[in-house]
Amino acid sequence: MLWNRQTGLTVDVRGPVPAAHVPVEHNITEEAALSASADDDLRVTMLVDEDQLVAQGAPIFRLRHHPDIVQVAPMAGRVAVVDLAPGRRLSEIRFFHENDGDRHQYAPNAAHKSGDALRLLLMESGLWLALRSRPFGRAPLPGEEPAAIFIAGLDTKPLAPNPALSVKGREEDVARGIAQLLRLTHGPVYLCQAGDAGEGFAEFAPNDRIRRLKVAPVHPWGLPGFLVHQHHPATLSRPVWDIHLEDVAAIGALFATGLVPQTRLISFAGPAVTDARLLRCQPGADLRSLCYGRVTHGPHIALSGSPLEGRARRWLGARDRQVSVMNAGASDQRDHWLVSALKQASRPRPIIPTAAIERALGGALPALALLRALAVGDRETATRLGALSLVGEDLTLADYVTCAAPRHSALLDNMLREIAKEEAS
Amino acid sequence: MIRGIWDRETVALLLLCASLPIMVTWFLAEGWGAVARLVFVTLCIGIWQLIWMLARAQPPSFAVLLTALAIVILAPENLGALQLVLGVSLGIVFGELAFGGWGRNILNPATVTLAFLGFGFPGAPWPELPIQLGWAAIPAALVAAWFGVVSARLLLGAGVVFAAAVWIDPGLLELWPTVLIVLVLLVADPVASASTPVGAWVNGALYAGFVALFHATWQGSADVQMAVSAAFLVSLAVPLIDEAIVSLWVAQRRRKLD
Repeated sequence: MLWNRQTGLTVDVRGPVPAAHVPVEHNITEEAALSASADDDLRVTMLVDEDQLVAQGAPIFRLRHHPDIVQVAPMAGRVAVVDLAPGRRLSEIRFFHENDGDRHQYAPNAAHKSGDALRLLLMESGLWLALRSRPFGRAPLPGEEPAAIFIAGLDTKPLAPNPALSVKGREEDVARGIAQLLRLTHGPVYLCQAGDAGEGFAEFAPNDRIRRLKVAPVHPWGLPGFLVHQHHPATLSRPVWDIHLEDVAAIGALFATGLVPQTRLISFAGPAVTDARLLRCQPGADLRSLCYGRVTHGPHIALSGSPLEGRARRWLGARDRQVSVMNAGASDQRDHWLVSALKQASRPRPIIPTAAIERALGGALPALALLRALAVGDRETATRLGALSLVGEDLTLADYVTCAAPRHSALLDNMLREIAKEEAS
Repeated sequence: MIRGIWDRETVALLLLCASLPIMVTWFLAEGWGAVARLVFVTLCIGIWQLIWMLARAQPPSFAVLLTALAIVILAPENLGALQLVLGVSLGIVFGELAFGGWGRNILNPATVTLAFLGFGFPGAPWPELPIQLGWAAIPAALVAAWFGVVSARLLLGAGVVFAAAVWIDPGLLELWPTVLIVLVLLVADPVASASTPVGAWVNGALYAGFVALFHATWQGSADVQMAVSAAFLVSLAVPLIDEAIVSLWVAQRRRKLD
């Protein structure tokens, strides 16, 4: 074997770390929102109007190009603002919480009868959007059949919550969820767990298509991308899906109760936090509200996501399970104009091969060859080296290590977007 | 989002720190003349860096000191200032600046300079390196490998093949200080050496193999001349080594997954 070691790096982020033994706090914020960036290009058909009362889990909008796929309300409340950009692109839909709101009930019985009914239920309940298809890292198309499904049962991003904690006491939901995932594919379902984890959940749904992967709990091996790359690479004709363990439990709970879960487990941590904790909050929670009374004095930035790839925003991102609060002071220091001009002129900045770069890509592939292919936009080489199995978040550790400008994660996302556009046309 | 510190200049500074034992030992062995030569070559390279910064907006790098150190230690002796300036200018411009600066080059500029000086002025004698410089290269190699700015696989590959060659031809052992110094200063340059793990083993092994071959077949040549020539030939082969390793990896992966 030319490359087969699972190596990685430990990113030391200062500040308190959420303790696993501290009771998880429930925190439903007064405001929440479904939001999307311009890059997401999410064109929608609204199913509700402003000022309308909605139940938790009730349909809010359909995707315009795939009308079967629905997004649901993150909490019971009133639709406060519907902000759509030209072309009915989603910008933000904001909700105000109502204490005595209902929960929307789905009828899961019909979904037991056929695969199509199962897909329809997942799409109507919004849980389809928890799945991510590779290549391209977007929600799967309605008719897409994956060659394999990876369940992310560990998360090695700095300060990330342990997925096993998010489903503690919900083992039956997980087993039910895995059983439904097996109906979505004829290929294997990989259950990825830390090497030191116990036997896990697969014994609840015995099936020879369930493959348990024991993974070294070192970043970036807790990201599904490298596991997909190693065990079942995604190609244009053989897409591979991945899903978080908590979302698998959500699918199981939907089949048991007909309800969409109200909360998700997130970690609230970072250098500017006084009280790092594990919280349960609704999807799209208000980060300002979560930060209230829990951050140090002085300027700070709340990131939705880990310190490596998180984005400064108001609302918790659709796939994010972390809030990282960083000190804002250091970023105000600016370079001398000449240094700044030279840095700008020398983009993309040269990458010097070091052991850190090799580790940042997990020792899974020829790291420098891939990074150079991305830097010069060489799609053919990047594809040959496995870029179709990866998404931007898989390269954020390499970005951190190399201080790359522009970031390789952004270059990969752009490259995947262009390939997707070509495939669609 | 947080950013790390392993940018180009961090790597250059770490390499410079790792090279300090060699620099200090060489100053102690050669005296103030060595310091003056280092300042002269650094200035010469610095002027070219300045010209390319103004003309092409290429930021200069601390790696200039590494290049200068390798040149002044390994360059042929008794060269006039003009000859040295000519060699350094050719090496730094064609070996580094024309490619876009340190980090984008494929050949080590010091290796190109030394090769040019060797071919261009064959009458100038090559230096005999003091043995203490070889001892100083050991901590330099260890520190650089510890920080990961030099490939430990490359050093080990060279070490294994050199040891095997010494076992076959014990006379080769006399060359170890020179072989080690050239290995640390020229061959192990992270930019110009192989970037794939297996390629690094091959890179180091090939260097030691060339040295052993030259020692066995190249009569009357100086130790430094053999080592620098081996370094130059290996650096020409490095892109091919990396490409071959990546192709092998792709083929192996395709076989495994089909």
